[in-house]
Amino acid sequence: MKQIIAKRLSLLVFVLFGVTLITFFLSHVIPGDPARMMVGQRADEATLQEVRRQLGLDQPVWVQYFTYVKGLLSGDFGISIRTQQPVANDLITFFPATLELALTAFVIALVVGIPIGILSAVKKDTVWDHGGRLFSIAGVSTPVFWSGLVGILIFYKLLGWFPSSGRIDLSVAAPAQITGLYVLDSLLTGNWQAFANSLWHLILPALTLSFAQLAIVTRQVRASMLEVLGQEYIRTALANGIKGPLLLFRYALRNALIPTITVVGLSFGSLLGGAVVTETIFGWPGMGKYVVDSIAYLDFPAIMGFTIVISVGYVIINLLVDLTYLLLNPQIRE
Amino acid sequence: MLHLPLSLILVLALALTACSSSTSQPQTDSQPEQQTQTQEPSASSTPSDTLVVAITSDQGTLDPAVTMDNAAWKITYPTYQRLVEYDGSSTEVKPGLAKEWQVSEDGLEWTFTLNEGFKFADGTPVTAEAVKFTFDRTLAIKKGPYDVYSVIKEVKVNSPTSVTFVLSKNFPPFLSTLAANYGGIVNPKVKEKEQNGDLGQNYLANNTMGSGPYQLEEWKKGQYFKLTPNPHYPNQPALKTVYFKIIADPTAQRLQLEQGEVDIAEGIPVEQLTAMGNADNIELLQNPSLLVDYVYINTSRGHEALKDKRVRQALSYAIDYQALTEAVQQGYATQMRGPIPKGLWGHDESAFQYSYDVEKAKALLAEAGVTNLELNLLYSDNKPWWETEALTLQAFFAEIGVKLNLNKVAYATSREMMDKGEFDLCLGVWSPDFADPYMFMNYWFDSNNFGLSGNRAFYKNDRVDQLVRQAATINDQAERIKLYQQAQQIVIDEAPYIYLYQKDSLLPVSKQVKGYVYNPMLEGIYNLAEMSK
Repeated sequence: MKQIIAKRLSLLVFVLFGVTLITFFLSHVIPGDPARMMVGQRADEATLQEVRRQLGLDQPVWVQYFTYVKGLLSGDFGISIRTQQPVANDLITFFPATLELALTAFVIALVVGIPIGILSAVKKDTVWDHGGRLFSIAGVSTPVFWSGLVGILIFYKLLGWFPSSGRIDLSVAAPAQITGLYVLDSLLTGNWQAFANSLWHLILPALTLSFAQLAIVTRQVRASMLEVLGQEYIRTALANGIKGPLLLFRYALRNALIPTITVVGLSFGSLLGGAVVTETIFGWPGMGKYVVDSIAYLDFPAIMGFTIVISVGYVIINLLVDLTYLLLNPQIRE
Repeated sequence: MLHLPLSLILVLALALTACSSSTSQPQTDSQPEQQTQTQEPSASSTPSDTLVVAITSDQGTLDPAVTMDNAAWKITYPTYQRLVEYDGSSTEVKPGLAKEWQVSEDGLEWTFTLNEGFKFADGTPVTAEAVKFTFDRTLAIKKGPYDVYSVIKEVKVNSPTSVTFVLSKNFPPFLSTLAANYGGIVNPKVKEKEQNGDLGQNYLANNTMGSGPYQLEEWKKGQYFKLTPNPHYPNQPALKTVYFKIIADPTAQRLQLEQGEVDIAEGIPVEQLTAMGNADNIELLQNPSLLVDYVYINTSRGHEALKDKRVRQALSYAIDYQALTEAVQQGYATQMRGPIPKGLWGHDESAFQYSYDVEKAKALLAEAGVTNLELNLLYSDNKPWWETEALTLQAFFAEIGVKLNLNKVAYATSREMMDKGEFDLCLGVWSPDFADPYMFMNYWFDSNNFGLSGNRAFYKNDRVDQLVRQAATINDQAERIKLYQQAQQIVIDEAPYIYLYQKDSLLPVSKQVKGYVYNPMLEGIYNLAEMSK
């Protein structure tokens, strides 16, 4: 087990090398001059050259890359051209918000999706199955910008149940930062007002985001359950008098979950990277909005930082997925 | 298999409890709270000493010596003071930190006498030393604003209340540049915040250290800016808290404005604004702005035919300006009359204005011997209306037999191409940083400014060069107007740009907000100190 983890983590080095190399050179061949964006449109050539020099943009690309990687090794992501802040600071500010949103959406998708999947499999071709399919397909085929707006119209404007934007009210102080996840931090510090308020802000965007992921979970669970339930060992178990929840959860679901976890793990990665639209609609101060603004500004260091965080996230999630296999299927352990 | 239905019920029950534990519980938890929330805004909106302005995106650095982004000015302008300030809604300046000033005969020495009694937010008095410190700092940092102030040779402190700027050449718009954001006077104590010789840039990127009526109390990245009064400011403002709340989505902004959760919403597009005008509690403020929208015709590096002024004139005659502003800006715009917009001194109400005349346009093309002309139009997604504008122009040019190919690229790419002159026609906007026709005439037409810095038509005319350069060296306004008008006549006739329209500023504001004054030089900036609710 330890060996696997160590091996996978060492692979991370190569992944990072590849990611930085490709993103760096790709973003530098795009025409456009970040120094120009920074000095404003009317600056003269001398000012422009000076800023270029300050940013190191007057150096050959490979020198810039080398400098960048050298900084990266000591945890320095460089200075954002747009915000003029160390990119590491910006990522620390914005990443937890995205993580909080994605995690919550993920949990909702699992908690709602798995039972619907099981139900659909067990009650195959009945009204339950069709209903489950309708619900989940509706989710995956409704674009987030639309379901989000409808959500806001209904739950904010008509019913007044939820706020329409932000992580917390202007009048409520944010909890002291521990993890950066407001709900968790306020819980840890016992700040109940912030807890209720941030949770209340989280629900609508998280539901919207999870709605789109639900179908993936539901359909996958249903398909694997159907497959597993048809297998001989289930029949043997039934013959041995094992039935009900025990059969369903301990014997069938456990095996059905293996392929599901792969799909779900990847979908969590896309949740992280793809929360952009949800974040925009709900004014959620996450990385999505930050990186979109950065791209428009040709803010290389920020784009690189974002890409690195997301790729590391992907690798770690994949690792977790593989480790979960080990827990679920002892055979793989050998 | 017989027992499955029973297990199913269990699963279902499990699913339901799981659902409810994840979703409905917090709902009930926060029920009482959300009620106070929705009542508070809709009844009396935000408290009467609190103003909430919805803005569309977060800002970059707030350092006045670095930022060239007008969007950051809404935070920095009320938190710093300048030697001179724009006067109400006019583009003229009035005393600010300085109570009076003199300029030497040759225009090279500007001496300012400071008002006493102004203090930075930490209580440090504003002195001539602070003024010198500010400009020395900007010149040492050498970023965007350096360009404007590179004309300063030296700043001399004569006494604690008197300071002299020595310029390297006569620069008549100098006074007006002092009223712009980069003229904000910075507390010299920023030196204590210096890191690795950055002259406090890192600190001022996120904090304010000025003597304006407000100070930045908190900036929650991606969420809001919170301004509170500078305790040492002589006349304490009525609004005790001002929030600039970041709401990227226009629909969310509109809903929150309608619900009274925000008082001013900046990011609602013009189509939605007209629909909103009917809401009882909201007023739509419409003012002519100095933002102009125009087309650069590449007169020397583009299509060969564009070197002929008759072809450029033909393009200017091909457009139905009325229909264009209707299609693109819902009519909230005015056709330009020459390069200097209405509202800025130097504007010539009697200048020639092109009108829609297809026959004339065709005749001009025939006279120039041009047939089957095919041009490309460069633009980006930077302005939401450019797509419609490009299509409208394409249709108009088709009527005179000119084929327009649309070339839409990313914003940063478009700027690179503009700078190098890789286009035939290109859409652009321009707004002045300081209130002087110099902003238009010298930037747009001086052949020293080829490319992004201003002369985006790559236009060169020796007579025009001579006129605008001369106008930039004398201080007599009447004399300068004369010179600029002569230059305008030429550049209107030679049509290196298609002068489209100047946009109206449209701002939906809650009717409870009082005292807001629009100044075309301060687009998107609020006179917070005089406002109330």
